[in-house]
Amino acid sequence: MPLSVLLRASHGRLSRSLGQRLLLLALGIVVLLGLIGICLKPGSSFAEVLKRAGPNVAPTLIAGLGMTCIIYTGAIDLSIASIVAVAGSVFGIAVHRGLPPSICFFACSLTAAGLSTFNGWTIRATRLPPIIVTLAGLALYRGLALILADSAVPSFPGYFSIPGEALHLPGKVYPGWLLLGAVLVAVGWEWSARTPRIWQALGSNEEAVRLAGIAPSRVLQSAFLVGGLFLGLASLIYVTRVTSIEPSRLALGFELSVIGAVVLGGTNIFGGEGSFLGTILGAFFLHFVGEALIFADISAYWQEVITGMVILSVIGADCAMHRKRKRMEELA
Amino acid sequence: MKRWTLPALLLVEIALFTWISGVRLDSGGAAWTYFRGYFADLLAQSAPALLLALGMTLVISTAGIDLSVASQTALVACVMSTFSEGQRFWATAVPIGMLLGIGLGLTNGWLIGRLDVPPIIATLGTMILYRGLCFAWLGEAENSPFLSVPGYEFLGEFWGTLALITLAFLGFGTWFQNSRWRREVLMMGGNRVAARYAGVPVTRRTLEVYGIVGFLASIAALTFTARNGSVSASSLTGMELRVIVAVVLGGTRVQGGMASLPGTFLGVLILAVLDEGLRGASRWGEEHLPFKLSHLQFVLLGLLLVAGVWLNSRREAQGTPKPRS
Repeated sequence: MPLSVLLRASHGRLSRSLGQRLLLLALGIVVLLGLIGICLKPGSSFAEVLKRAGPNVAPTLIAGLGMTCIIYTGAIDLSIASIVAVAGSVFGIAVHRGLPPSICFFACSLTAAGLSTFNGWTIRATRLPPIIVTLAGLALYRGLALILADSAVPSFPGYFSIPGEALHLPGKVYPGWLLLGAVLVAVGWEWSARTPRIWQALGSNEEAVRLAGIAPSRVLQSAFLVGGLFLGLASLIYVTRVTSIEPSRLALGFELSVIGAVVLGGTNIFGGEGSFLGTILGAFFLHFVGEALIFADISAYWQEVITGMVILSVIGADCAMHRKRKRMEELA
Repeated sequence: MKRWTLPALLLVEIALFTWISGVRLDSGGAAWTYFRGYFADLLAQSAPALLLALGMTLVISTAGIDLSVASQTALVACVMSTFSEGQRFWATAVPIGMLLGIGLGLTNGWLIGRLDVPPIIATLGTMILYRGLCFAWLGEAENSPFLSVPGYEFLGEFWGTLALITLAFLGFGTWFQNSRWRREVLMMGGNRVAARYAGVPVTRRTLEVYGIVGFLASIAALTFTARNGSVSASSLTGMELRVIVAVVLGGTRVQGGMASLPGTFLGVLILAVLDEGLRGASRWGEEHLPFKLSHLQFVLLGLLLVAGVWLNSRREAQGTPKPRS
């Protein structure tokens, strides 16, 4: 059974370097929390910081789980920020039309899931590099979000304002529970199911997957589908947390923080290895870096710069670590 | 795509938009005046994009990509804008801007060449990082010291941009065409491992290519500020995608190994004419379309990118890879 051999190869407990990464991240989070505790002002409480962490981290984390599925296969989705913008436009239009809340929420999630699946389908149909297809999506979906909003709402003012109380918004009322649910599903699924391992197998050796009798393009498609489901939930939370939805600016730069969280969590950017648990810790780590910068009284612009530097240096260190192994593979 | 496709596309586009804009071209003299103004404007307007696209062609032919070009240009312009105006601007701001541009490019090259970060991830990160630095440097301000600098305006006018573009495309292009450097760069794009075994200093070439992009970004910042007169932290947002689409339309292969400088030149002009045409047709759009015509540009760029790459790869699949330039 070639399939069982393939699965056993990528199965088993976490690899050593990945385990070390998880430990390091957990340690980093503890250190950051300690720093926040030291810088704490008299007016704010530590419990408050912990309590708002869950809801604030939810969109990045859940989208990160979806992105992990995609990066496992060696692909990547650069268009998620624009997809969130389209989902936001659809949600805004639905609310503007006065549709029942549950339908608005459903439309928002379905749009995001559908567009992500469409990305996968396009990559499959055109056989172009995922980076190029999703880079095109980055522009195309942003335009689509603007055109949708402009066409559906007469004399569109540039933003949708959402009446929060009337709708019982999931992003404001129960984001923590949605987060918990997504995390439990993801981690449990990774421990028990074989699909994530097939994705990793695709990321580590496409030819081996083909020889094992699995169609690589279908595996890729399924990764984008599952990634889209996570992204749907994430964009629902993202969209319902903001007070006004601006299709031209909504979620700008979201893709970098999501990819940053995934890579921080030890998932190999070239595919083939990683864990959902790492992504979860990575997202929390990034969030607490931001919190610590707020408590250290650093201006909002510099916060962005420093967060960007943290992500880049971790990715840089990660790639430099893999560099040696890649050179060895070239020799073989 | 055949050799004449791009020029033909450009001519058809110009004819179409001239017709839509409803200019009366009764006599030969009127047509001459109109098109002279049109092309002078087109060249001066697209000078930054042309310079960036030249660098992007080199990057893409090494199988890389640089998403941070627009942020680099904006950051150089932002930093230059905080220098005091007057004659001394030439001796302080301009060289510092160029050095900064080269430094920003080399940072990309270091991340990609030395640390082996995938180009798209590295430059996505620096794109946001450099943009963040723009905001940290200028905040929400809009600075405009440029037009009070003696002689600076020339860089944004027709003859100034013509000189720069000629220097870049003809001067650099002629050297590039027959150089060993070109063959090494293209070889890196075609097969990096083979290039390394053949003795190509891959890391060094990567640094050089991204450094050149940074330098061109600083020159682009000069032409941009000379034409616009002012700069803010959010200037040139979205420029990187236009540049990439132009390069891909011009026939440069995104998987690397093939470059076409004349194609890039035409690609930029095609996009610039499209841009200008959509702006000219905005009144028509207001009457006939439910949305702003300018939003359509994003959609068109996305579609052109996929279509361009797909056409390029199909041309290869047919077994006629003709590396030009």
